[in-house]
Amino acid sequence: MNEILNQYFDLSQMSKHLDEVLNGFLITIELSLVAGALALLWGLTLALLRQLPGRGFLPVRFLTIAYIDVFRGIPLLMIILLISGSLPFLSFLPESIRIPHWFGRPDPFWYGVMAITITYGAYMAEVYRAGIEAVPRGQMEAARSLGMSHRQAMRNVIVPQAVRKVIAPLLNDFIALMKDTTLVSVIALNEVALVGRDIQSQSFNSSALTLGAILFLLVTLPLARLVDRLIAREQARFARGAPRVGAL
Amino acid sequence: MPEPMLRLEGIHKRFGDLEVLRGVGLELARGEVVCVIGPSGSGKSTLLRCVNLLESPEEGKIFLEGRDICRGADAPSGEAGWHVDFVRQRVGIVFQQFNLFPHRTALENVAMAPEKVLRLSREEAQRKARVLLERVGLGDKLDEYPERLSGGQQQRVAIARALAMDPHVMLFDEVTSALDPELVKEVLDTIRKLADEGMTMIVVTHEMGFARDVGDRIVFMDEGQIVEEGTPAQVLENPREERTKRFLGLLLER
Repeated sequence: MNEILNQYFDLSQMSKHLDEVLNGFLITIELSLVAGALALLWGLTLALLRQLPGRGFLPVRFLTIAYIDVFRGIPLLMIILLISGSLPFLSFLPESIRIPHWFGRPDPFWYGVMAITITYGAYMAEVYRAGIEAVPRGQMEAARSLGMSHRQAMRNVIVPQAVRKVIAPLLNDFIALMKDTTLVSVIALNEVALVGRDIQSQSFNSSALTLGAILFLLVTLPLARLVDRLIAREQARFARGAPRVGAL
Repeated sequence: MPEPMLRLEGIHKRFGDLEVLRGVGLELARGEVVCVIGPSGSGKSTLLRCVNLLESPEEGKIFLEGRDICRGADAPSGEAGWHVDFVRQRVGIVFQQFNLFPHRTALENVAMAPEKVLRLSREEAQRKARVLLERVGLGDKLDEYPERLSGGQQQRVAIARALAMDPHVMLFDEVTSALDPELVKEVLDTIRKLADEGMTMIVVTHEMGFARDVGDRIVFMDEGQIVEEGTPAQVLENPREERTKRFLGLLLER
């Protein structure tokens, strides 16, 4: 029992490396927020491309669906490796894209952002799609019958309602995304997992990693509770009598 | 002879194997109110939805103010083209299920299309919306969300919303069928007022009393065809066709 405590919960180890671990976690948070925001936007874009009406947009819809299927089906870790391993050697690209150091962040940070955005954009596109399809058909018809274009109807009527419906599942995806940022440690980004691992291999003690895990929980547990509350609120709406037609 | 406001010729509409409209022709003069009655599934709603191109008929022609608005089934889909805008900005429709935008207040529901489509300024659009909502008796509900309004109030907002686009023709698709009985009158009164003001309209309804009072003409549809049409007195009190008699008889038995 003592051995377990020593290996995982050695307080002196934790306090000794607190600064390093916190710095690593700060990078984790930064990466999560930047990649999360971009994935939210990219996912919405994909979902909207997928909903474009008419025969003329068939190729666009087809390509979008293919994109979503492909990137949901490939492990994020492999996307990270594929980008970081070869993007620097694509000589037709300008150097600022091949080896990005935007906003003073190192290139592994941006490779991570790209990989996560590409992958989670595909996941989130599916979430948005579910939300868009859950908006009653009559909403689009009402908007169109008032002379709005498809685009205006999407923007003013469908998407605002769809987004409200999927805030909880999007938050869930964000929690998963945040945890998956640790994968970027394989390309030497000094986020919390890599920091903890380096300390582990020098000290033969895992307490710094445990500390990192605890920091994760401090963020993910409240988020998970928030998701539950949002879902409960949504269900309460429906429990209050039959859902009125047209009501959210 | 003046150009009819709306003329339908030989409209056919199929959903898969089901032929919902089988050659419907109809003419509306400016300011005329036509009430369409008939059993459910007779194609009344589909007919209305064809008029503002929510459905596109496979065959037939629709002329709105003399302009052919129908492309037929072989036209490229995607709804691009001038006639959709032409139609949607001249034809207002009110649905059985209201279809108000639940995330917007009554005022915003009415002001949205004028602002986005007619490009009025927000103040102008809202001023107009306020006037219209007062006209349908909802001047005190401007800032309520649809969820907090009764069915009759929601439906009146929907009417105001359609009117905000200054339509030349209004279509009413069983607008009282989803309402509690005590809320029907306020909606019918609103429509009656519009009729008195000279709006051209097609009203699909199960309210026979209303059809008799307000309709200049009554059209009885069954199985995708117009079986009989005429003045309310002719059709309701003295129907010629067997199917009309049977339908009206069934109504009286209720």
